[in-house]
Amino acid sequence: MVFSDLFFLFAFIPAFAICYLLANLIDKRLLRMSAEGKPRFKARNLTLVIFSLLFYAWGEAVYVFLMLICVLINYAAGLGIARFESRKRRKAALIVGLALDLALLGTFKYLGFFSQAFAQIGIETNAPQLALPIGISFYIFQSISYLVDVYRRESPVQRRFIDLLLYISMFPQLIAGPIVRYGTVAHEIHDRHVTAADFADGTYRFFIGLGKKVIIANMLSEIAEQFLVKGIDDLSIWGAIIGICAFTLQIYFDFSGYSDMAIGMGRCMGFHFCENFNHPYCCKSVTDFWRRWHMSLGSFFRDYAYIPMGGNRRHQALNLLTVWFLTGMWHGASWNFIIWGLYFGLVLAIEKFTIMKVIDRIPAILLRIYSLLIVIIGWGIFYFDDFGQMKKFFSSLSGRGSLEFGLLEESALWDNFWLWIAAVLLCMPLRRWLETATDKVLSPIPAIGPHAVATVRVGVSVCLLILSVALLVGATNNAFIYTRF
Amino acid sequence: MSPHKYYIVLVTLAFSCIAVVFLTFPRSKYSELEKRDLAKFPEYSPEKLRDNSFTKEISSWFSDSEPYRDELMTLSMKVNDAKKFSMRSEEDAVSFLAADDGDANDAQSPASSADEDIPQAAGNPLANENAKIAHSGIIIVGKEPNVRSLMAFGGSANGGGEFVNTVNKYKQEMPEVNVYAMVIPLASEYYTPDKAKKASKPQAPFIESVYARLKGAKGVPAHRELAAHTGEGIYLRTDHHWAPLGAFYAAKSLARTAGVPFKGLEAYDEKTIHNFVGSMYGYSKDISVKKSPENFIYHIPNGVAYNTTYRTYTVNSNYKVTKESAPAPGPFFYKFKDGSGGAYSTFMGSDMKLTKVKTGTNNNRRLLIIKDSYGNAVPGYLFYSFGEVHVVDFRYFTHNMKKYVRDNGITDIAFVVNCFNAYSSSAAKKMAHFLTQGDNSVSPSASEPQQKTKETKPAQKETKHEPDSRPAHDDKTPALPATPENQEQAPADPTPEIIPETSDKQ
Repeated sequence: MVFSDLFFLFAFIPAFAICYLLANLIDKRLLRMSAEGKPRFKARNLTLVIFSLLFYAWGEAVYVFLMLICVLINYAAGLGIARFESRKRRKAALIVGLALDLALLGTFKYLGFFSQAFAQIGIETNAPQLALPIGISFYIFQSISYLVDVYRRESPVQRRFIDLLLYISMFPQLIAGPIVRYGTVAHEIHDRHVTAADFADGTYRFFIGLGKKVIIANMLSEIAEQFLVKGIDDLSIWGAIIGICAFTLQIYFDFSGYSDMAIGMGRCMGFHFCENFNHPYCCKSVTDFWRRWHMSLGSFFRDYAYIPMGGNRRHQALNLLTVWFLTGMWHGASWNFIIWGLYFGLVLAIEKFTIMKVIDRIPAILLRIYSLLIVIIGWGIFYFDDFGQMKKFFSSLSGRGSLEFGLLEESALWDNFWLWIAAVLLCMPLRRWLETATDKVLSPIPAIGPHAVATVRVGVSVCLLILSVALLVGATNNAFIYTRF
Repeated sequence: MSPHKYYIVLVTLAFSCIAVVFLTFPRSKYSELEKRDLAKFPEYSPEKLRDNSFTKEISSWFSDSEPYRDELMTLSMKVNDAKKFSMRSEEDAVSFLAADDGDANDAQSPASSADEDIPQAAGNPLANENAKIAHSGIIIVGKEPNVRSLMAFGGSANGGGEFVNTVNKYKQEMPEVNVYAMVIPLASEYYTPDKAKKASKPQAPFIESVYARLKGAKGVPAHRELAAHTGEGIYLRTDHHWAPLGAFYAAKSLARTAGVPFKGLEAYDEKTIHNFVGSMYGYSKDISVKKSPENFIYHIPNGVAYNTTYRTYTVNSNYKVTKESAPAPGPFFYKFKDGSGGAYSTFMGSDMKLTKVKTGTNNNRRLLIIKDSYGNAVPGYLFYSFGEVHVVDFRYFTHNMKKYVRDNGITDIAFVVNCFNAYSSSAAKKMAHFLTQGDNSVSPSASEPQQKTKETKPAQKETKHEPDSRPAHDDKTPALPATPENQEQAPADPTPEIIPETSDKQ
């Protein structure tokens, strides 16, 4: 199931909300009845797990068992790590757990890719063609974070299978992140409390995310597809530019919209996930971009790969290369993603020794333009997993395409004029500015001030909801980009 | 109440209202706007559960059959309209609606030859017209209230091999019969403004190339005849079909090729259905099409007697024929009310029929037309030309063609299809299959009692949705315009108020 699906919005969510509220009542009663401290059983957690499994099984009726196996492995490995005293044994349990996790990921995500790569150098492997389980990259990474955190004694081991299952399978972040660290939510799995502010902010955030996805990203995806897929054989320079700019905006609104919805739903249940985006296209360098884009992935690689390998202290170049190779690889079993990762690795390495040293002396506007250019070209690599098409795209972009500004190009710009404006403006912290401004104007009004701000939010939420619903009726192409990674 | 609680109460209330409407109100079954049946709740099977299609179908059923679907769809069109920059000058307003899910073109490479000696449309009246391209591979030309919507063609000149084979096979297997192929261009051939030329491939090279490959059968140069009359209303502006007037010129061309008499429009009574908005509104989802109604003008012959007999097909939910009725007389022309979106069904009322018209013309020539919905408009102009006109829809025919031709003494067979269907290998295969299929070959699913049947009886007050009278093109078809006609089950215009016209001359 995807979040931007009417069935999810109006069948799954109401059903879940009712069950979860009932479970909440049960939990409260249990708390009153139990004499000593907090009861271990949580009806809310059970409800959340059941609905998460349903959510996943809706799209992957068979692979839901794969996820259960994965959780079982990590549950056992976690217990092993916690149980052993000697460092060696703890490490052995960790390595077994990690190896099994990576083996699952390798088999279901990369087997086809490697067998194809081998076939190209003449070694036939007869590997079976496996369909990619949705969200596997996300839940395997969460598993890894769990094992490592337990091993490092940064988080306590989870002794209840169902609670570990909850952490891995929680539907808000299950299939496309953000990659929630175990440490972030370990406490909230056992003990969480939802305030009115949490629920209100969470809901608001959810509607913002829905609007980003349905209103902006879906419309932009049509433009991007029109040039980069259908029009690729006959792409003008302008077409290439419009197409890749549309994709640049699309992927941001698509992915950050998803993250907003995930974070919002988490908030409504009392979970506080980490932020995943911080206006990435406002970056002043590519290094900066990666601190703002898909932050949960960047920090994962930093904490679980780059620093353990030695970070800045020893063979930094090799570490950087490895981490960016892995970052690319994580996005998909395809060469273009690897090239994309290495491209950023290279740019970041160069930046480190050039721009970053003099960054204060360069005008901000130049830095922004430069960073955006690098990022947009990156999306050009990212978009095409077919090298033939990538070549066509870059040759059109680099000037071999015709200079004609035809009907397609004109129509993509003018017929979507306000969409472009809105998308570009919303890449900036516009919402924050507006909200601060309304707060400043409305809040001081005695008696009605705070409610006036809330009323504006209600208006925004309801408008976004109704528009999204209207646009979702009859929508054909609606999947989130990042669910395929 | 704290502001947070106030927000929660209001938003929850709004959300719950929508949820209650969506969960409890009667679901939409048919979209007037898109002229199609909406998704039904899927049937369960373990295989479907395993390959995730069961749940996927539930999701699409849920979003497809929303209560107030068309109203929401209209809102979404307004949103799409709102994002346009409205300050553009008249000449610049051209849009293209790119196809929703464009598969790449058929593997065939574009033609290199045959482009030279094709007559260009005699002065495209819209060459410098403003236009826009909307989604679904539809080009929208002009501004309200005179918007013209065009379906883009993405085929190459050397496509349609299967169609050529089929026509040749007919000639080969029935050498004594005259066989004609008439491939009708889509409106985009004549009305695509210059700046949108890239969005739609030329169709004349394709048609000429099909004709050049015919052996024994003759190509009917209707496209040249049409090209000479682009200033007249030969295509509907708001429908995916041509206009009856276009069919008139095409019929003239067919009569000339066949060497039979033909009468001009003075031999006809002109009828008008006012305020017609056709299928392109639903396809393009562009609100300007709705705001551009037109007149649907057709002609009823007034100097010749004709007597129409129908055998009506019953089809199941997959549009497979499950039953053929006994021959029953009916009107050839059905009368639609002003404003009816289904006016194109004027001719014979539907596609799901085998039609036989006995005319007062006495020349021993008997014509059989194998057609798609474009072909529906043609036979009405041939009653002065042939003694009998039989009309077979390429999707529904349950007899052995050779036997049928022999039994009815058919002397001429004409394939009358639009470019999409001439390009489509699956359409051609269906037509070829008529030669070999047994008599009364109804679908085996006829025995499945749970299948819903769809009948379109002539005098029925309420027409059921009939399948696709649009150019059904399959996955092999030029895919620039991946319009909904990919789905063969997409029904055409159902119109509640058909009044059978009684002017049939007995």
